[in-house]
Amino acid sequence: MSNAGYVLRRSLQALIVIAIVYTFTFFILFVLPGDPLENKITNPVNPLPSSTADALRAYYGFDQGPVAQFFAHLGRLFTGDLGFSLVNGRAVSDLIGQALGETIVLAGLALLFTAALSSAVALTAVFAPWRWVREAARGLPVLSISAPSFLVGYLLLAMFSFQFGWVSSIRDQGLASFVLPALTLAFASSGTLSQVLIQGLTGASRQPFVAVLEAKGVSGIGIVLRHILKNGAIPSLTLLALVVGDLLAGAVVVETIFNRHGLGYFTYTSVRDQDTPVIVAIVLLVSVVYIAINLATDLLYVRLDPRIGQSLIRAGTRRRAPRLQQPEAVPA
Amino acid sequence: MPAIPSALRRTPRRTVALTVAVIGVIALAGCAAGGTGGAEVPQVLTYLDAEVPTSAQVQESGTWQTRALQQNVTDRLISRNPETNELEPWIAESWEQSADGLDYTFVIRDGVTYSDGTPLDVNSVKKNLEWQSAGDPDNGVSANGQFPADITVTVDEAAREVHVHLAEPYAPLLNVLSSWSAGLVADATIDAPYEEQTQFINLIGSGPFVVTSETYAQEIVLTRRDGYAWAPQSSENQGEAYLETLTWIPVEEDSVRLGTLTSGEAGAIRYVEPSEEASLSAQGYHVQSKTGVGLSNQWFLRPTTVPLDDLAVRRAVSHAIDREAILEAIYTDNWSAATSPLAPGTDGYVDESAKFAYDPVQAADLLDEAGWTRKDADGYRTKDGERLHLKTYVDVYDNTAKSLFQHVQAQLKDAGIELELDELDYSSYWGTAFADPEVGFLRVGWPHPDSGVGLAEYYSADGSDLLGLDGSDSTLEELLQQQYTLVSPADREAALGRIQDYLIDNAYVLPILNDSQVIVTRPEVEGFAFTDGALPSFYNVKITS
Repeated sequence: MSNAGYVLRRSLQALIVIAIVYTFTFFILFVLPGDPLENKITNPVNPLPSSTADALRAYYGFDQGPVAQFFAHLGRLFTGDLGFSLVNGRAVSDLIGQALGETIVLAGLALLFTAALSSAVALTAVFAPWRWVREAARGLPVLSISAPSFLVGYLLLAMFSFQFGWVSSIRDQGLASFVLPALTLAFASSGTLSQVLIQGLTGASRQPFVAVLEAKGVSGIGIVLRHILKNGAIPSLTLLALVVGDLLAGAVVVETIFNRHGLGYFTYTSVRDQDTPVIVAIVLLVSVVYIAINLATDLLYVRLDPRIGQSLIRAGTRRRAPRLQQPEAVPA
Repeated sequence: MPAIPSALRRTPRRTVALTVAVIGVIALAGCAAGGTGGAEVPQVLTYLDAEVPTSAQVQESGTWQTRALQQNVTDRLISRNPETNELEPWIAESWEQSADGLDYTFVIRDGVTYSDGTPLDVNSVKKNLEWQSAGDPDNGVSANGQFPADITVTVDEAAREVHVHLAEPYAPLLNVLSSWSAGLVADATIDAPYEEQTQFINLIGSGPFVVTSETYAQEIVLTRRDGYAWAPQSSENQGEAYLETLTWIPVEEDSVRLGTLTSGEAGAIRYVEPSEEASLSAQGYHVQSKTGVGLSNQWFLRPTTVPLDDLAVRRAVSHAIDREAILEAIYTDNWSAATSPLAPGTDGYVDESAKFAYDPVQAADLLDEAGWTRKDADGYRTKDGERLHLKTYVDVYDNTAKSLFQHVQAQLKDAGIELELDELDYSSYWGTAFADPEVGFLRVGWPHPDSGVGLAEYYSADGSDLLGLDGSDSTLEELLQQQYTLVSPADREAALGRIQDYLIDNAYVLPILNDSQVIVTRPEVEGFAFTDGALPSFYNVKITS
């Protein structure tokens, strides 16, 4: 198995994708209307005289063309310098560092909750001994997909913070502060995953090998946990990688409600304020994370199902499970 | 890029409002007043602002929330008494001004120190004034646009005097020295690299509070300054602040801010929906508001756009708006109708309200005279087959702007004028809205330490030139430039009066409401006050049981 060659090839591809994303983002920001520095200079609340404006433009390199600026940025990037926010003047590396620590915990916890929640729902929906319980569990994903995060988050906050006072609505109390936002995120992103898992498990449980195993005398629980789950989980694994993207997107809403300041918050504010250095850094980071997760998923396929692994290594490409359309949850 | 759900924008949504109402009732029912049983009440306060403070760099001080912090951490040479609006000694114990307005002498108070222990002496004042006036271009620090550009500062250490010599008279100087952006800072701040100056932790002032920790966008902790003893004379407290710590947390979501206040986790919040004010007052919360000195919220009517190039149309628009009806519908007693381009109580303020009083009959007559006599099927006036149409963008700086603009739109429709309301996001608003040639008016006007500078920044050709006249109205230019050099207070007030008259008589400016800042504090929080510029002052705040 030329696993090493496969990993190397895939990693190179990933690097190329990241470079393209970075370049594309950088130049698209030049095309967009609006310029944070101009907004600062012409700020109605505090306009700056043009003499100082020119000094500021030169300081940030805004008096050069986009290509010159791009290479200046790239050069600094390789020395680990991400530049400074145009809105608040802080080092982008500090802001991203602050946001990343926050988001890793939030997304990790949310991913855990998502996996737990969707497994529980799917197992209940497929294997629960009572019909009405199975029906109810099948209805749950629809509810979680269609409930706006904003509302779910606010209800949790109102109940556990304002009413019972179990957790602060504004202060950081370590891990406890992450539970509610992670639950909100998990509730939203578990819906699609549950549905795929339900289909996968239903399909797998009708496979001929189940009958063979039963004939061999393997217990029902053993069949479900060791064989069916493993077979039915493959599409879900693909989806789980995509869920990470959803979590980052969902974090924009959730972090606002729970007053957290992770990547979601910085994505929202930097795009709103067209804070170029911050946007570029976030896009770079998110694309690295996303591509790394996809790479990890591919390598996991190989472990889960040797047939997929072999075909992947031979073809050098990977099959994607079709992504389900998820309606954007916007409160009316 | 994920779409930002509209609930995240700062507009109240029905769903949320309903949820808040339901939960608010439950939460308030379970909210018991906590007694402390005679024990010493801890003097700590958590304040929730509606926005994230931006850059702490002194000359920028561009946003309200940033100024609010600077105001509590730094002191200024001169203070404006928020009750009387008169200038008073502060770090300067006295000052003198030459008759020609070119020389100022400030006597600096003895014994004042910055929180890093360095003295706030004549040399420090000199360094601050030169830095404000010239900036530090090599360090990316811009000059403070409110300061005169050409100053010479000398000191007399023995007499504790600072002498300022100007190349030409600059009447706004004393007002500017009382401004939030004129806070005095230690050498450590001035000499720090620009990137460090943007952080509040590096803002070393002599004020009653010291920044002791900061997590960007999340929390700033202010601690009482030990040994503080140089408040302005008129302050009832002459010593240290009563609060030991003040935790400053930005919470952008309205419902979360309110819920945190009513659940007792925060003691003070800025900005509630006007519709919440009455019920909060009824429950014993202190709902406090102030209009700062400076400019009122106003619309400039651009005479360079069609149909506002006709004075009659501009005047018709000014008579078509019923401020009282708007206040009645969406505001409370904490808000008031504007009566001039300047806020009441500002130096030189003149009540101009009679000139643009709500008068639908006069508005109709003016439009008839201007030839907008026919009406189309939708009830809008037309002239030569063209509909009477105006375009604006909803202001992004004010939380109540959207409903305000919609009310104005409805009132203009009654007068047969179509108002097109467009929306832009926060970052592209200023650049896009002002560059749009179709835009007839936009909303501007906030508190300002010197109303003359404020008006010139907006309406002169050297400033933002909001009217787009590009200097073609020489009378206006002359009036705006002239007030800079009139150092006699009486002359300057008269000049400011002439500017207000001119702006209103030509219907260049349409005052809407006086800018109101609203802060709500819990019943046990006493002594909260606003500064002259409607910024929060926590110096006299005490927590009672």
